[in-house]
Amino acid sequence: MTDMSAGRERHVQASGAVPLISMRNIHKKFGSLHALRGASIDVHAGEVVALVGDNGAGKSTMVKVMAGVHMATSGDYEFEGKPVRITSPTDANALGIQTVYQDLALCSNLDAVQNLFLGRELTGSSLFGRRIQRAECEVKAREVLKRMRLGNLSLTRPVGAMSGGQRQNIAIARSILWTPKVVILDEPTAALSHSAAEQVGDLIRTLADQGLGIVVVSHDIHNFVVNATDRIEVMRLGANAASFRTGDVTGEQVVNAMVGGNEGVNLAG
Amino acid sequence: MAEAITSAPPLVRRRSIGDLLARDLRALPIVIGLIALWIFFAVQSDVFLTARNLSNLLVQSTVVGIMALGIMFVLLVKEIDLSVAAINGVTSVFMAKLIVEAGVTPWVAVPIAIALGAFIGSLSARWVTYVGVPSFVVTLGLGLALNGLQLILLPATARYSLNGTGLEQIALINIDGIWAWVVLAIGILSFAGLVFSEAASRTRAGLETPMMRAVVLPIAAATLFGAIVVAILSAHKGIPLIVLIFGILLGLGGYILKQTQFGLYLYAVGNNDEAARRSGIKVHRIKMAAFAIAGGVAALAGVIAASRTLGVGVFSGGGVGGGTLLLESIAAAVIGGVSLFGGRGSIHASLLGALVIGTVSNGLNLMGVENEIRLIVTGLLLVLAVSIDKLIEKATGQQSF
Ligand SMILES: Nc1ncnc2c1ncn2[C@@H]1O[C@H](COP(=O)(O)OP(=O)(O)OP(=O)(O)O)[C@@H](O)[C@H]1O
Ligand SMILES: [Mg+2]
Repeated sequence: MTDMSAGRERHVQASGAVPLISMRNIHKKFGSLHALRGASIDVHAGEVVALVGDNGAGKSTMVKVMAGVHMATSGDYEFEGKPVRITSPTDANALGIQTVYQDLALCSNLDAVQNLFLGRELTGSSLFGRRIQRAECEVKAREVLKRMRLGNLSLTRPVGAMSGGQRQNIAIARSILWTPKVVILDEPTAALSHSAAEQVGDLIRTLADQGLGIVVVSHDIHNFVVNATDRIEVMRLGANAASFRTGDVTGEQVVNAMVGGNEGVNLAG
Repeated sequence: MAEAITSAPPLVRRRSIGDLLARDLRALPIVIGLIALWIFFAVQSDVFLTARNLSNLLVQSTVVGIMALGIMFVLLVKEIDLSVAAINGVTSVFMAKLIVEAGVTPWVAVPIAIALGAFIGSLSARWVTYVGVPSFVVTLGLGLALNGLQLILLPATARYSLNGTGLEQIALINIDGIWAWVVLAIGILSFAGLVFSEAASRTRAGLETPMMRAVVLPIAAATLFGAIVVAILSAHKGIPLIVLIFGILLGLGGYILKQTQFGLYLYAVGNNDEAARRSGIKVHRIKMAAFAIAGGVAALAGVIAASRTLGVGVFSGGGVGGGTLLLESIAAAVIGGVSLFGGRGSIHASLLGALVIGTVSNGLNLMGVENEIRLIVTGLLLVLAVSIDKLIEKATGQQSF
């Protein structure tokens, strides 16, 4: 574990400085299946990194290693320049790495505040069990939502009555409630309409502007990836196939790199 | 995304009828249905609306109401307990055995029965969560086994009389005169205290509180409702102790479900246990507590039933298979709005559902209609209640929570 006393401000730096996360030459084997074969990735503060690739390329495995769900078979994992050993999601959370999974893991019968705090409610003791301090939770929830520019999201409607985009936003808000440094999103736009996906893109940008490092796994190359991210890491067969600065490429070039065309050049330098 | 950039505080928006019906007023159809039933029976029989009959109706509804209240906790976590009636029977017979054969005072025997009920409930939960057998199967089997045990515990006469043991007093005591109003005042004061503390903490946190909707209306409604009930009961014999017990359980249950972390976790686990687990909630413990509550509450209902019938026998706990007691307890919870699919239902469901079932039984009885008809009507009402709920869901486009 690294030193947790460091303030967040320290990381609001231009990319190019010490990356928040630096994973090098990661291998992961599931029995005889070699899912990751020397993959690498850097995540800087204030930056949105897209992780793209064909089905089975190893994207989810890579972010799961990052999030502590899987342990790498071999490879280096540095957090803020220091080698770390992350053996569980709890370890990752403690460092400030939060993950939003594709299924969102929300309770549709609970409202936004209840979902944001689920499992971590602010409570006081009472005669018949721990009483939830709803008002305090609500204040904190509002703060976070305001920071995400989601100030007008209803706090009292069950999230089941909300749109897919709103639910996605709540799941993201849930991940940043405890001020993480890195947020990982696995296919955040897969189930969303075009405009809802755009809103998620805006939200991700807002968070990056506040100094968070964001990793997004996505298949939506032509809309989401080329518009909402800063850097694109292409994976193929468990290794890096190409790396682009988003402004420098078209969707076609990215797709070519994914499927193994001869454009596997490294434009990001 | 222009709308998201405005950072003005969220307004307390006027809510649509659909919104209200889907949430705050979810109980409205069932309340209207209950009133319709009452009007119908009042027209059919002059006796129906007398204080005496209404008191009886309430007393007759308590055992099913309390059972429904307990089973609701299990339904909330998306499980079912088909052994509650058997728990009700076997624990009351065990209690009677302690009192009659071992000379144990009811003051000790009753808590033992309740603890035993809770223990049995927690056992089925363990079986369900660790072995992975569906609760439907575990509790069906357990219920039959407990029925057998109940028969074994009974003496050759197949009945223990509890007359003169002191236990019959539970069903006999009425709180009358000024005391009935004192009880009501205590109830309302506790409720008002809760509402005010909630409002105060919101104000302290700098949040707006809709005074009218969040403070004045609930307290006024509770006072009005309580006063009407106490006035009716006082016009007969006063508040029957068993009705007071049901009332206290309703208040306690409502507090636990609405205010506590445990209550919230019941709803979370019932809706999405995987999400609950990933949030760090100990799902198996929440389920175990829910089953234990259902078991303990069923045992308490068994004690009350034993007191009302002055004894226990084969018939206790609804007889072998749980009989109508089991079916009516589950039906009451569902008619009141508790979902069989988990994560949905409020505490008043048990009261409303039991009153519907009690009303049908009481009213048809007054009309001299056969028992067979009563079963048919109750069954149809169950389907009707759930159907109306589904129709609202379709009409408002909102899933019911
Ligand atoms: N827990 C696991 N056990 C065994 N094999 C696994 C496991 N998780 C992933 N794999 C395998 O590892 C390879 C990479 O899978 P991964 O899920 O990382 O791909 P992906 O890039 O996320 O694909 P997709 O776009 O379909 O989500 C696949 O061949 C997959 O079958
Ligand atoms: Mg994947």
